[in-house]
Amino acid sequence: TVIQVQISNASVMFIRLSNYIFPQKIYFFLSPLVVLNISKYYHVSPAPGAVRLAHTDIKIPDFSEYRRPEVLDPNKSSQESGDARRAFSYLVTGASTVVGIYAAKTVVTQFVSSMSASADVLALSKIEVKLSDIPEGKNMTFKWRGKPLFVRHRTEKEIAAEEAVNLAELRDPQHDKDRVVNPKWMIVLGVCTHLGCVPIANAGDYGGYYCPCHGSHYDASGRIRKGPAPLNLEVPYYEFPDEETVLVG
Amino acid sequence: MAASVCRVGSTVGRSLVKSRSPILLSLRRGQASVSYAQSLLGAPETRLTALDNGLRIASEETGQATCTVGLWISVGSRYEREKNNGAGFFLEHMAFKGTKKHPQSALEQQVESMGAHLSAYTSREHTAYYIKALSKDLPKAVELLSEVVQSCSLNEADIEQQRGVVLRELEEVESNLQEVCLDLLHATAYQGTPLGHRTQQNLTRHDLVDYINSHYKAPRMVLAAAGGVNHEELVGLATDHLSGLSFEYEGDAVPVLSPCRFTGSEIRMRDDALPLAHIAIAVEGASAASPDIIPLMVANAIIGSYDLTYGGGKHLSSRLARLSVEENLCHSFQAFHSAYSDTGLLGIHFVTDRNNIDDMMHWSQNAWMNLCTTVTESDVARGKNALKAALVGQLNGTTPVCDDIGRHILNYGRRIPLAEWDARIDAVTPKIVRDICSKYIYDKCPAVAAVGPIEQLSDYNRVRSAMYWLRF
Repeated sequence: TVIQVQISNASVMFIRLSNYIFPQKIYFFLSPLVVLNISKYYHVSPAPGAVRLAHTDIKIPDFSEYRRPEVLDPNKSSQESGDARRAFSYLVTGASTVVGIYAAKTVVTQFVSSMSASADVLALSKIEVKLSDIPEGKNMTFKWRGKPLFVRHRTEKEIAAEEAVNLAELRDPQHDKDRVVNPKWMIVLGVCTHLGCVPIANAGDYGGYYCPCHGSHYDASGRIRKGPAPLNLEVPYYEFPDEETVLVG
Repeated sequence: MAASVCRVGSTVGRSLVKSRSPILLSLRRGQASVSYAQSLLGAPETRLTALDNGLRIASEETGQATCTVGLWISVGSRYEREKNNGAGFFLEHMAFKGTKKHPQSALEQQVESMGAHLSAYTSREHTAYYIKALSKDLPKAVELLSEVVQSCSLNEADIEQQRGVVLRELEEVESNLQEVCLDLLHATAYQGTPLGHRTQQNLTRHDLVDYINSHYKAPRMVLAAAGGVNHEELVGLATDHLSGLSFEYEGDAVPVLSPCRFTGSEIRMRDDALPLAHIAIAVEGASAASPDIIPLMVANAIIGSYDLTYGGGKHLSSRLARLSVEENLCHSFQAFHSAYSDTGLLGIHFVTDRNNIDDMMHWSQNAWMNLCTTVTESDVARGKNALKAALVGQLNGTTPVCDDIGRHILNYGRRIPLAEWDARIDAVTPKIVRDICSKYIYDKCPAVAAVGPIEQLSDYNRVRSAMYWLRF
C-alpha cells in the first residue's frame, strides 16, 4: 500500500492510501477555535485480508500539531480555557476587521481623490507678489486665476481720504478697514462688477479706478462711487507671510 | 335540537364549575383516585446497605410476584486502555458462557428452569448483569449472579467462538446508522480520550482476566433489586455469596478517571448510496451529578422528539416538531443528553433525506438559540410537565426500576426519589433555562457527526456561526 502525502498551499493535508476499495469518503475537521481550518481527508481501505470494514476501523487522526497549547492535554477538560480561547480569536478578528476597514478606506480615498485637481492646477490657484517692486502710488496688475489682480501701494493721503469717507454715501457701504489687511496695500480683483470689463488704474473722479465700458468710477479702496456698477471690487483672500511678500488665494 | 343540547350542557358545566369541586367534574366520580403528588410520596423507599467489602446493596420493595436483581458495576469502555480496548464488551459476551461451577449448559438450564431472563449490558461507564425472575427465586438468582461475576470460566474455545459473534454483532451495528452516528459523535467529540475509544478485536484470555481483576471490585459495585424482594433477605444473600468480592487493587493501582477533553470538531462519513442521512450535533453538557442536569433535561423536553409516526401534525407542541411536519424537514429527530461522571454530550440527532439537511440543521440550531435567549414561560411549563411524565412513565416495571436504582447509586451514591426529581424540576424557571442553556450552548464549538448522503450539510464554520445570534 503506497501512502502519498500532499501539502497544498491552503495547509490541508491529504493522506491517500492507494488500492482503496470502499467508496466512502471520510474527512475530519477540527473546530476553528481550537485550530485554524485544518481538514484531513482519508480514503479508507481495509488492510489486505481483513474481513470487513466497520466504522470502528476509522481512526480519528491526531491533530496535536495544530492544537492550541491549552487543549493539547487529552486528560484536561477544555471548558476552562474556552473563554480565553474565544476571547483571543475574537480579539484577533476584531483587530483585523478594524485594520481591514481602515485599509479599504485608504485605498478608496486614494482612488477617489485621484480624480480631484492635480498639483499643477492647484499651484495656479495662488500667486505670490513681491511688494518691494511696487513703488508708492503705483498700481500693478497680475494675472491670477484667469482674472486681473490689482495690487496698489497706497499713499498716506489716499489711506486717510478713504478712511474718512461717510458710509451713507456709498452704494455698497463698506469701511476701508474692512477691505484691507494692511492699509498700505490694497488688493482687489480688477473685474468691474457691472459687466466684467477691466477698470483703468489711477483714473476716474475719485482717485481710484475708472471702467471705460460704461463709466463706473471706483475709489482708492475699490468701492463703487459713480456709474452703473452695483458692488465694490471684489477683495480676494490674501495674507502676508512676511514683510516683503503677499500670498493671494 | 342541537342548540338546546348545547345550552343544557353549558348550563350543567357552569354549575359544576361554580360548585368548585374537582371531584364533581371528574368522570370517575365515586372511584378512589390518587393525585400525582400523593403517588410521588407514596412510592416505597429505596433501602441502601453496604457490606464490609464496600459492596452496596439497594432495593425497592413493591410486593410484586416478580423481581429484577442485578449487579451494576462502574466500569465501561472509558476505563479501557488502548491495549485492552473492547474488553468490557467482549466480557459481556463471555459472561454467560459458563462459570467454574456451572458450565454453559448447566447455567442455561438453571436459569431457564426458573423461567428467568439473564441479561447484561455495557455502556461507556457502566456494566450491568441482571436477572428477571420470580420473587421466590431471589436466592438462586443472586447465587447465579455472583458466580457469573466472580468465577466466569473464560475458556479459550469459547473465547474464540465469541470473537466471531462479537465481530458479527459489530457488523450488525453497522446497519444501525443511528448507533454508528452517535458512536462517531463520541469518537470525534472525545478524540484522543478514553470516552472516544472504539472496540478492538484481538483480545486474549489474559486481557479479560486482567480486566476483571482490575475493575470488578466491590466498592464499585451495586447489587440492586426491585419487585417483591425483602431487603434483609437480599443483604443476607449478598453476604453469603458476594462478600468474597475483592476490594483491593494490585499494587494499590486504583484506576482514577481523568477528565476527558471535549473537542469541537466534525466527522463526515459520506455515502450517497444510503437513502437517509443521520446527523448528530452536540455540545459539551453537564455531568451526571451536576445540578445543571435538571434545567438541561427540561430544555431537551422543550425541543422534544419526533418521528413520522407522530399523529399530532402541526399541532405538536415542540416548535421544531411542528416545523418538521409543516416543512417536511426530517423523518425523525430527538434531543439527547448523554451524561457521564464528569462530562456529557448535549445534542440533537436527526434523520432526514438528502435535500432537507441544511434546513433541518438551521432549525435545530434555531431551537437551541431560542432556548438560550427567548424561551417562554409556557414552553418551560410544557417541558417540565413532559419531563415529569417521562421520568414517571419510564419506571414501568421491575427491570426499569432496578436499572434506575443501580445507575443512581453508581452516579449519585443514593437513589433520587421521584418526589425529589419533581421538586427540582418545579424549581426550574425560564430564566434558569436561559442561563444554563447559554452556559452550555451559546457560542460554543459543537461536535458534528454525519453519515449518509450528506453533501448538503453546510461547512463547519457555518454550523459554528449558527451557535450565536448577532441580534443579541
